[in-house]
Amino acid sequence: MNQMSQNDQSTEHLNPDEVNAFIDDELLPGEQQGVQHHLSTCHGCTLRVLSATRLKAATGRAGQRFAPPPEALGRLTAQLHSQQTETAPQGKKKVVSFDSFRTAAWTALAAAVLLTVSLFGWRQMHQTNTLAAELLDQHLATLSNGATPQVISTDRHTVKPWFQGRLPFSFNLPETLPPDTILKGADLTYFNGQPTALLLYTIHKHEVSIFLTQRSTSPTLTPLPRTRAGFYLRTATTSNLNIVAVSDVNPADLDLLVAALVSIQKPA
Amino acid sequence: MLFYAVFLQLGNLTPTEALCTVSSATSRSADFEQLALPLFGSLYNHAFWLTRNQADAEDLVQETFSKSLRAFDSFQPGTNFKAWIFRILRNTFLTTRTGIAASRTVFLEDHPETLAATAVDLTPEDNLIRLGDQAALQSALEQLPPLFREVLLLCDVEEIKYKDIAVILDVPIGTVMSRISRARSTLRQLLQPQFGESL
Repeated sequence: MNQMSQNDQSTEHLNPDEVNAFIDDELLPGEQQGVQHHLSTCHGCTLRVLSATRLKAATGRAGQRFAPPPEALGRLTAQLHSQQTETAPQGKKKVVSFDSFRTAAWTALAAAVLLTVSLFGWRQMHQTNTLAAELLDQHLATLSNGATPQVISTDRHTVKPWFQGRLPFSFNLPETLPPDTILKGADLTYFNGQPTALLLYTIHKHEVSIFLTQRSTSPTLTPLPRTRAGFYLRTATTSNLNIVAVSDVNPADLDLLVAALVSIQKPA
Repeated sequence: MLFYAVFLQLGNLTPTEALCTVSSATSRSADFEQLALPLFGSLYNHAFWLTRNQADAEDLVQETFSKSLRAFDSFQPGTNFKAWIFRILRNTFLTTRTGIAASRTVFLEDHPETLAATAVDLTPEDNLIRLGDQAALQSALEQLPPLFREVLLLCDVEEIKYKDIAVILDVPIGTVMSRISRARSTLRQLLQPQFGESL
């Protein structure tokens, strides 16, 4: 956890991440020493760490709750042995003539092609997963009570001008929104290394995050999964914007909001 | 796996390979059992927390073992086997009807959390005594949103490191840290009605 700040010389109290990393034994040796030094001089943090340690230990005990029935292990091992019998290769030796080398060469070529395609697919999938995780992470962060939007307003005439000078692009916000859809505010954030307008809406009390990025800096939007960890992701593009929506609301309602945003943008 | 299958076929076609007997699957299975069976209890406990049902938990563990055995060739020796098989368990769960339903009922906004500093008017010993109430903690764990409960179970019950939890949950390590922080904060909030501000 090299991002943890050193507190050995600091009078600042430990933040929750530092407390957690300390009790979970996730700090580097130097960081751990710094925290221990701070704890030796800070009564309040010491009590917090002790309380957190007790809670962790108690959670560990309480979470270890369900024991398998005695016969379950027997059923499992029987299943495994059955599976092994089915998949075990025959002991018979197999001899193949040299005539098969031609086939082998073609197979090798096919394997090389497959490997290339697989690597390309893996890279694409890896990038997709990273972006989806980043989006979901930012959406979850907005759900926190302590996460107050930088601009709080239900008025599009307040929210849109707030981004002027903060973003290298502009966008329009729809005057008429789908039923029970409310603009809450907005944040300036970064997504995929780009400055991003994060618009916050609610639909039927479900939180919705809309990420707007400039299309010219990233002409093609990497395909994202349509669901991740129970949340829906929707993407759209306009002449100069990439739009990504994240929420756990009914996907049809999410689509309506995305469509409203797309339709209000200026044509090319 | 397709590539692997092609590779195997190619191997069989060379003279050297042709003169060799096929490698012993029994040894491979024994290695798998040696690593996997000690985790049966932990996997079952985690599966029960996910499925909330004894039969489903047992089915989930059986399917996890079955898939893990089939995929055991892809496990890299020297890496964390526990994290590897827990990831298979989780991915298997997410493809079940219960898993899909559970993952769609995460309403984090219903569980506001703050990271307020802990009050210091009670001693740690007080906390220890109070936290001895397993029933209250189990109830609080049940009330936690699934994403939070899952990360706490992996961290506090299974004692898996953050980097391995990140692999299991398929999220960045920063997400693991923030989820743990928010999960513990939410857990404290759930326990506060019974234990007051001492948490």
